Amino acid sequence: MSEQQLFKVTIDNITIEVPAGTSILEAARKIGGEVAPPAMCFYSKLKGSGGKCRTCLVEVSKGSEKDPRPMPKLVASCRTTVMDGMEVKNITSPKVVDARAGVVEFLLLNHPLDCPICDQAGECHLQDLSYEHGKEGTRYEFQRRKFKKHDLGPYIQLHMTRCIMCFRCVYTADQLTENRVHGVLDRGDHAEIATFIEKSLDNDFIGNVIDVCPVGALTDKTFRFKNRVWFLKPMDAHRDCPKCSGKVTLWNRGEEVFRVTARKDEWGEVEDWICNECRFEKKHSSDWVIEGPREISRHSVISQGHYVHTVTPTETFLAVNDGRAPHLLLDIHTESDVNKPEIELSLINGPAHSNNFNSK
Amino acid sequence: MAIKLLLEKAHVQGIRTYEVYRREGGYTALEKALKEMSPEAIVEELKKSGMRGRGGAGFPTGMKWSFIAKPEGVPRHLVCNADESEPGTFKDRYLMEFLPHLLIEGLIISSFALGSNATYIYIRGEYAWIPDILEEAIREAKAAGFLGKNILGTGFDCEIYVQRGAGAYICGEETALIESLEGKRGNPRIKPPFPAIKGVWDRPTVVNNVETLAALVPIIKMGGEEYAKIGVGRSTGTKLISACGNLNKPGVYEIDMTISVEEFIYSDEYCGGIPNGKRLKACIPGGSSVPILPANLLLKTAKGETRYMNYESLSDGGFATGSMMGSGGFIVLDEDQCVVKHTLTLARFYRHESCGQCSPCREGTGWMEKILKNIETGKGKMSDIDLLWDIQRRIEGNTICPLGDAAAWPVAAAIRHFRDEFEWHITNPQEAQIRNFGLAHYADPIHVPVTA
Repeated sequence: MSEQQLFKVTIDNITIEVPAGTSILEAARKIGGEVAPPAMCFYSKLKGSGGKCRTCLVEVSKGSEKDPRPMPKLVASCRTTVMDGMEVKNITSPKVVDARAGVVEFLLLNHPLDCPICDQAGECHLQDLSYEHGKEGTRYEFQRRKFKKHDLGPYIQLHMTRCIMCFRCVYTADQLTENRVHGVLDRGDHAEIATFIEKSLDNDFIGNVIDVCPVGALTDKTFRFKNRVWFLKPMDAHRDCPKCSGKVTLWNRGEEVFRVTARKDEWGEVEDWICNECRFEKKHSSDWVIEGPREISRHSVISQGHYVHTVTPTETFLAVNDGRAPHLLLDIHTESDVNKPEIELSLINGPAHSNNFNSK
Repeated sequence: MAIKLLLEKAHVQGIRTYEVYRREGGYTALEKALKEMSPEAIVEELKKSGMRGRGGAGFPTGMKWSFIAKPEGVPRHLVCNADESEPGTFKDRYLMEFLPHLLIEGLIISSFALGSNATYIYIRGEYAWIPDILEEAIREAKAAGFLGKNILGTGFDCEIYVQRGAGAYICGEETALIESLEGKRGNPRIKPPFPAIKGVWDRPTVVNNVETLAALVPIIKMGGEEYAKIGVGRSTGTKLISACGNLNKPGVYEIDMTISVEEFIYSDEYCGGIPNGKRLKACIPGGSSVPILPANLLLKTAKGETRYMNYESLSDGGFATGSMMGSGGFIVLDEDQCVVKHTLTLARFYRHESCGQCSPCREGTGWMEKILKNIETGKGKMSDIDLLWDIQRRIEGNTICPLGDAAAWPVAAAIRHFRDEFEWHITNPQEAQIRNFGLAHYADPIHVPVTA
């Protein structure tokens, strides 16, 4: 019996066969599209994650072929394994839609909604979730929870106010590094992710907590406030790295590399973990072998630049004008000190400021 | 005089010590169980007794024990849940404080029945003085040969360890208790797998309440069938009720579940009525998590029948007009008590004790507390009541562990039965600061429409 047992499961009236032991969420992801429940805390590459955010709740209307009773409560699809003949209702169940709207409201309750100044905007799972399943207003009339910003070493900034307590970063540190120095302090709505005494996270792979964070609570200090992600051009690239796979996505503007992240799949999960050196230190195109532009879902705001398969038109001015350069009425660089072409924006620490262009 | 099985000897001088307990017939059940019965026979006896878990959910204990997985070569564990933190419940503390040997005897019998060689008592941190009592009892039992290697020559080894919690209500939930026992943060685990398959250190585990395990002693002594004759219906045996609130004689009472709620509150044998001639307004019959009931629904069910102190009768009418037996924390409120303030107190408790793992409970409990605080301090709006209802509805059933339900139910029941009091707080914000709503009609007889 080397053949793996296949279970037939019906999700939103679409039947699929999956190996035994698959979770409902993973089965739904195989079908794809709207049928896949959103997941804020589940991460298929992290063992033990999931079950906490409750956004992936689904209704099981038929337990299995053997025991057709429905499950009494909505279940977390990321942590419930499929049974043969199981019937699951996701978006076809009003109960699920209502519960999910409730969960979105709860998640946004203490979230600052500071998307306009948040680096995660554009690639934020909470943003996607609330656009898709949330309501336009909140019924919360109280002050939101606030925390001080924490510096976790030279590369990572923790902004606890935005955190939704998905525990992914804790699992990442547990499973990727030898020694976890951060965790959850306190409990309930005053719980926070923290190092016990303000301490830096210092580990070769700790940068991955930035990638797993579904919101902007953990951000890359080498990229903070440098650019909006949708102005950048993601490029697949690789290098020979002794520590990790070296397969990354470079986020370019022109030829400048603004940041380096791991490659993320369509569910926002990284394909390969990358090390801190690749992520934070190799910020020049010359460090990398560029493979080509990365496919980004056309629904994502990141793909708004339509950089894939675009052909830049050749400049015809010189040819038409007998090789003479155009006469400019005004060259901005002779008039103003800002935006000097010789200053690389990606190398400025923090957001660009007029002081950065002062030649004196 | 009611039958007493657990607390019969509680007032014997020096019962806390081994000598007196043994002289009063202690450890005979243990001898009977280990020498004359097989583990399967004990489980069978327990099934016959029909005893339901005394921790709150009321699941039949015999059934729970038969679920435990028995893989080859993997040790099994019994864990005694002494993390009794439910507001209003203090029966386990009484048992452990006065009759530690009864618990130890029950634990050894249960360990034998389940095949647990290492048994743990997880006790809440606030019971700071009780671990000493238990450890003394364990030491004495060991000296007498009832613990350790080869107990009574049966070849069964058992050790009991006392583990103190650090003061978290959530660690009374069985999977959170297991996490905490393992030395981790006390977050409930996601079920399945259930502890009976994968519990402490991924080994099959049974977690039982103190009272449940202590009740093993009378069950073995008298036999399961005899035990099942006490009580009514599926509520067999005796139950400890910790009565508190506006009562003349608050305390721990052992009842055989045949008496009515009215008798329990007013008879001199039990609580002795309400002090200062006040009238009964409301009551939480089973610890803070169960729905609160107004006086008229407490004494009589919606159908007009007398309500009794047992599992079925207290839950008669579902949550619409009934409540639950719960853990037996009987909290009585007289006419001077304010239900809004009371609900706020409970909401504050659950907000503080939510573990913060899943979002509905983490965010919802805090939100409910803030709204209730507004209503209580005269800043409420009419829409807040419906909002509260909506929040509790979205917490209930959508969380990992029952703490979400436990936080939602008291709020839901308070609004369901005492909505006019909430409304009064909102329409009379000033008056609500200086006086209480009073009794209103909560003690009136229930109106039963008559057909022509």
